[in-house]
Amino acid sequence: MTDQFAYPSDREQASADKVSALERLLIEKGVITSTTVDKVLAYFESEMTPLNGKKIVVKAWTDPDFAARVVGDTPAAIAELELPEGMAGAEGEHLQAVANGPGVHNLVICTLCSCFPWPVLGLPPYWYKDPVFRARAAREPRTVLAEVGVELPDDTEIKVWDSSGHSRWFVIPERPSGTDDFTDEQLMDLVTTESMMGVALAGQA
Amino acid sequence: MKLQHYLGGLEGLPEPLSLEKRVFVEDWEKRIFGIHVAMMGLSNHLGSALPEYPIADVPTAFRDEWTWASLRTGAEGMNPFDYFKFRYYEKWLGGITQFFIDNGYVTEDEIATRVGESWSAEGGDTAIDDQVIDYLRRGDSPRRDAAHPKFAVGDAVRIADVPAGDHTRLPGYLRDRVGTVTRIFEGDYGYFVHTGDGIGDPMPIYIVEFTPGELWGVRAEPGANTLYAELFEAYLQPAEEIP
Repeated sequence: MTDQFAYPSDREQASADKVSALERLLIEKGVITSTTVDKVLAYFESEMTPLNGKKIVVKAWTDPDFAARVVGDTPAAIAELELPEGMAGAEGEHLQAVANGPGVHNLVICTLCSCFPWPVLGLPPYWYKDPVFRARAAREPRTVLAEVGVELPDDTEIKVWDSSGHSRWFVIPERPSGTDDFTDEQLMDLVTTESMMGVALAGQA
Repeated sequence: MKLQHYLGGLEGLPEPLSLEKRVFVEDWEKRIFGIHVAMMGLSNHLGSALPEYPIADVPTAFRDEWTWASLRTGAEGMNPFDYFKFRYYEKWLGGITQFFIDNGYVTEDEIATRVGESWSAEGGDTAIDDQVIDYLRRGDSPRRDAAHPKFAVGDAVRIADVPAGDHTRLPGYLRDRVGTVTRIFEGDYGYFVHTGDGIGDPMPIYIVEFTPGELWGVRAEPGANTLYAELFEAYLQPAEEIP
């Protein structure tokens, strides 16, 4: 056997040391500043988060006309809402929503890399970038969904979207039943990043 | 031939899946993510982006092009066993560090001598930060001209089996498969680089619908599934032209 599959014993510390040294050098050499990385992270922690996607979904749940518009012309519909400046910025230049409905369930994947709609959902969770998920979801989406707790009726069509072009896709999940008297805030609590990529239902932990 | 181009549909992988919902699993990963975004926001090609960023006037020492294509080309060129072995941001750290070494920004010795040292830095021209955040807010759309698509909605198309390049936007499992055009996007779309397999210059992009039986034959999962891929026109051929 080779040592191909062995990890160095100091795996995480070595990476932490290396990136620290690299960032310091890039600051010293004038490539970035001492605040660049922190400002980038703050942008994603404070403004480009799944809260934007939750607001879009809840608007679609409570306004049928908007629900139609957000699928037909996603950027224009999103621009109607009061969301942070930059919804059409990096990795949001061409957003495209697809809506679940009776008998239809959408699943977004990216088999070549990990394209993700940053302004709507923030940064991708690890499961989305996992080569095993990306490989299996293309061939056996129903099995994969069942493994993560989404048991769909046999006659529900699963539409898998492989993000190989310019669009960045996200899903408008179905509004759970029994939520007619929920406030917008209560409805937003039902929406997760996972439900907006199709690996969970709204209201599913 | 690169395994990474053929990931979709690969069999024999671990199951069941469990979802790691964290975005970062180690704090150090945030730093390499931030460095990558800074490089994208300072890339020298942004002067010709649609927002016409004043990139030549930004007081950064960064002078190269850095886009998703750079990162993806590196990931697709990796030893495939390493590709599966290392976490997402470990791959980024390796590729980005090597880029800065190969292009003369830093040396391996400089990194080695600083490893394990604590430091605090202050300063730098905040116009650099402003450009990076401006890039995040305004983006870099690949949309260019009006489209003159060769194919129409409803057309049957056979996916080209073009010679492989270092980098591609054609998922390998679609090669030589027949699908149906369901949508033509408005406008033409460029790609960051000429990949060598046909894309780069602005061209139409289509959504093509495939049945599981066409893609996977008898190994297809039973049930009402449909797969949609977004494909540049260079990857499509009329279905009838191929015997």
